[in-house]
Amino acid sequence: MPVNRRERTALSAVFAVLVFPVALGSQQRAGSAPAAQGAVTARVVEAASAFLGTLSAAERTRCTFDFTSSQRTGWSNLPTGIFQRNGLRFGDLTTRQRESALKLVAAALSREGYSKVTDIMNGDEELRKAGGGQTGGRTGSGIRFGLDEYYIALLGTPSATTAWMLQFGGHHLAINVTVVGPNSVMTPSLPATQPAKYTLNGQIIRPLGHENDKGFGLINAMNAAQLKRAVLNYEVKDLVLGPGADGKVIQPEGIVASNLDTGQQALLLDLIHEWVGILNDEAATAKMAEIKTNLPRTYFAWSGATKNGGIAYYRIQGPTLVIEYAPQSGDLNHIHTIYRDPTNDYGAKLTKH
Amino acid sequence: MRRLLIPFILLTTLPFASAHRTDEYLQATRLSIDLERVDLEIDLTTGVAMASEVFSWIDTNRDRQISRGEGQAYAQEVIHSLALSVDGKPLPIRFVDISFPQFREMSLGIGAIRLRATATAPAVDSGHHQVSFLNLHRPRSSVYLVNALVPANPRIQLADQRRDFGQHGLTLDYTVAGDGPSAGRLALLAGMALAGCWFLARQRHLDHSRVARCEAGSPK
Repeated sequence: MPVNRRERTALSAVFAVLVFPVALGSQQRAGSAPAAQGAVTARVVEAASAFLGTLSAAERTRCTFDFTSSQRTGWSNLPTGIFQRNGLRFGDLTTRQRESALKLVAAALSREGYSKVTDIMNGDEELRKAGGGQTGGRTGSGIRFGLDEYYIALLGTPSATTAWMLQFGGHHLAINVTVVGPNSVMTPSLPATQPAKYTLNGQIIRPLGHENDKGFGLINAMNAAQLKRAVLNYEVKDLVLGPGADGKVIQPEGIVASNLDTGQQALLLDLIHEWVGILNDEAATAKMAEIKTNLPRTYFAWSGATKNGGIAYYRIQGPTLVIEYAPQSGDLNHIHTIYRDPTNDYGAKLTKH
Repeated sequence: MRRLLIPFILLTTLPFASAHRTDEYLQATRLSIDLERVDLEIDLTTGVAMASEVFSWIDTNRDRQISRGEGQAYAQEVIHSLALSVDGKPLPIRFVDISFPQFREMSLGIGAIRLRATATAPAVDSGHHQVSFLNLHRPRSSVYLVNALVPANPRIQLADQRRDFGQHGLTLDYTVAGDGPSAGRLALLAGMALAGCWFLARQRHLDHSRVARCEAGSPK
């Protein structure tokens, strides 16, 4: 039946009113994953199953939670004794169980990401040895630092098709990896460090050294006009969206990346990759592609010294990204950072039905 | 109000003090702006070295516990140190809720007192507006953060933000858009469009029937 002009107009109106918003929503929800990510998920699931296989029934019960349980948001940067983590404590695991747990963490992360995580953990061990944890043995204190004080928990059943989550953390570390089919996301996560620099086996380790140096690299690549926009005229002495600030979105500030030249944008992306790239390469590649698409709406704000070695806070904020880097109370040896995706923390976008 | 009764456990030695906030009282405020109100979320985190001092501000009868009354009195003390205005008109701030961490957490420089407050704002017309916030609670020993949350109401768009160096205050410009079509109106429009479609289709069907009847009735 031929459609006349009046009918076409009416049908167009119906389409516009009813169908377009749905289509727009679908576009926003759609996530594309490289085919290789299916292989990564299979590898992570295998590692998770192997780890669970090393546990007794009682240990398995302590280690596993429902995917939607409150454990999901029960993470912190604080040490044991101040914040009570659930899951299995590394100090209570056998060597085999511990190795298997670390294999699972390594399977979910990139090589660089896993290295960063172990550098943070070793830093906390240094803090313990240096006396940071010396109250641990005292009656009534219970504050403990060091390698034994990291916890692992699984939320949901490790699966290549349904959603589940790996939670790993301790003092100055919270890694939350949500796996949904071939996709995995690592927001929110909190990589931090104290000390920011230490020597291990004759090597100088700076767990968040790249985050510091690349930040200063970017700010020093800006001209006067760009600096005027990027540098906030007030001090920022802590994370704004740290633990407990799930779902909060603050008004962005600083210079928008569309006002950076190509080279500066590349520096910004490289800096962002320090957080995004903790996760396995395939998932990180997908996330970086999304961030690159949103780069014209991504802001970079800086507060503090612009000469490397000084104390500075910075924040990177885009439609699907928040990163903060915050030396604590003016202490260069004590750095907190946070990595969030306000649209997809805990894989919210991927698990929304 | 939760967790107001707090056992007072004095920690005398804190060799790990450097791991956390020391001699500062961090006051982090988030403002949430809506058409007819401004909500305030204020998280107060005491430094290790001044936890006892902060506790003494709150535990005014020195019984080593924070009672409901003491908690509310402290909330009012904080609120009285705040100033909030929209378009230059001061807004009274109302207490909503306060919760306290264990003193032990406070003494480690990590537990936050969470104060929630709100202010009713005069209904604003579409156009440009400005909200100003100032926090002068215990300025001698405090550091401040103040930020505006992206409004949940899509009619409100935040613009320029201005702060003093120490973030005691924030002045924020924002724009209120005209009252656009609501979801209800969109549904009404959709319904009307569907009805139009149905009417046109029916008309077309009737036209065809009429033509067919005419053709059937015409001489061959």
